[in-house]
Amino acid sequence: MLWEGNLTRRDQPRATESAGSRAKDVRGSPLSGRQERDLVVAAERGDRAACRQLVDHYLPAIAGVAQRFERGGGVQHAELMQEGVAGLLFAARRYDPRMETPFWAYASFWVRKGMQEMVADVTHPVALSDHAVRGLALIRAARREHLEAHAAEPTMAELADATGLAPAQLESLLATERRPRSFDEIVPHDAVTTATLRDQIADPDAEIAYDHLLDEMEVLDFAGLLDDRERTVLWSHYGIDQRTPETLSTIGARLGLTAERVRQIEADALEKLRTTAAEEPAT
Amino acid sequence: MSSEHQLRHQAFVYESDDEYVACSVGFLKEGLESGDACLVGNTRDGNAIMREALGEDADRVTFYDVGSLYTRPARSLATYNRTFLEQLQAAPSVRAVANGQFGPTPHEWNEWATYEALTNLAYPDLPVWVVCAYDANRTPQPALDAVLQTHPEILSGDSRASEHYEDPREIVRRLTPEPQHLSGLRSWSTGDDLERFRERIARELVTENVPAHAALRTLVASTEIASNALTHGGGIEEVRTGSTDGRFVCEVIDRGSGFDDPAAGYIAPRPGRGSGLWVARQLTWRMEAFKSTGGFTVRLWT
Repeated sequence: MLWEGNLTRRDQPRATESAGSRAKDVRGSPLSGRQERDLVVAAERGDRAACRQLVDHYLPAIAGVAQRFERGGGVQHAELMQEGVAGLLFAARRYDPRMETPFWAYASFWVRKGMQEMVADVTHPVALSDHAVRGLALIRAARREHLEAHAAEPTMAELADATGLAPAQLESLLATERRPRSFDEIVPHDAVTTATLRDQIADPDAEIAYDHLLDEMEVLDFAGLLDDRERTVLWSHYGIDQRTPETLSTIGARLGLTAERVRQIEADALEKLRTTAAEEPAT
Repeated sequence: MSSEHQLRHQAFVYESDDEYVACSVGFLKEGLESGDACLVGNTRDGNAIMREALGEDADRVTFYDVGSLYTRPARSLATYNRTFLEQLQAAPSVRAVANGQFGPTPHEWNEWATYEALTNLAYPDLPVWVVCAYDANRTPQPALDAVLQTHPEILSGDSRASEHYEDPREIVRRLTPEPQHLSGLRSWSTGDDLERFRERIARELVTENVPAHAALRTLVASTEIASNALTHGGGIEEVRTGSTDGRFVCEVIDRGSGFDDPAAGYIAPRPGRGSGLWVARQLTWRMEAFKSTGGFTVRLWT
């Protein structure tokens, strides 16, 4: 899948703190074995800040792996980097210190594998079924009509509406139409100069966007299963999230409930959590 | 495949993509004709090849990307269990062709073999026919050997029983590392009061700076273990908690004789079957169970 929204011009102002600027702190000094272990453990648990730190720390190493694939052409550096990031985060979820293998030695396997699969997917010659050819024709017609009517590219949602295709089907068909672009392809830069595509892609070490990857790896939001009152009871009783633990009576007095009612709410909340854990994979 | 059949778990070792595609497509098309729900689990490029080969039938097959599916056996088994149950809402039986994803170390090959062995035990009651596909040219030899030991049937032209198939529990037992004694854990007891147990566990989690979302999981998982100790283990003798290798560890030691089932907690919950150990495995990074001088111990790693 292409993530063209992640291609960022170097001269674009940064509206928010980028992963790269945060990464400077991390990359400035090597991680100790203990720091790395703690980051991997926290990342495995789904801690987004830890995931970011881990990725930031290993971006240069991921870029090194990506360079080897770029030489073959046909894929974009930003795409490779994102596959690499996904591979690194996946490795954090699987890593077991009992392997007695350093983390990067292990993770680099998944980083490389992700990139290999992406290259194979992108460069695989596509033979379309009649069904797919008809779908593509539908998409082209819808895009043309939208451009004529609005003088702007349609969004994916608008294309899905116009064609009646499911978003996944749409994405899959559009992927067959993407033309691999060379990093050295000349593109207009401003009125008088040109630049290569490579020039227009921000330093991947500084600009890789991977929020969507963190979203994908997010653990089952256990707390999200609880309503406000259940959460208040559990958090207050057990001192979760730095709260001072309170007795059921104290919580009840604050909420205008009897201690017994608070106990029932807590029991229901715990039962809800255990039932969900029994039925849903915890990812 | 009719719905009275139970799990069929076959291995298919192929030499080329063409062989993989020809066999898998034939298997799936036969299933579609019989009204089975059909699944393909592969990497993105593998799924693309299968979509192409299936042609218009691809629209009737569910594809899923195995690239990020296999993390740990307990969670992969849960994902498949739920997926199969969902598919069985609309079809009498399921056919699936799934490619493996394992890492570069012998430790991972063992973990993969453990997962494959457990597949035979996790949902034997489901009318599901799973073909696990392995590329002979990309699979390390020790992993290929394990494939023959963990699949009751081998698909090779036709289907035949694997001569090397072993009792799944024996494989899991053999490949599960022996639990090591952990020194430095704090020993405490709150008797047989579950609420006091949770209150103390919660304090220990705060002491070890376990983040809220992980603390909540541990609270639920350890309650399951403590509850089992009360129901089946004659009561809680001792609890030990602390940090080891960057993770929070909780040991619940009971007074009973415990269990000697390496598949405990890996069997999918069904009505009438306990789910406490399954829940504990789902919510923690690792669960170990062993006998020691102190009693029968279940150890959870967060």
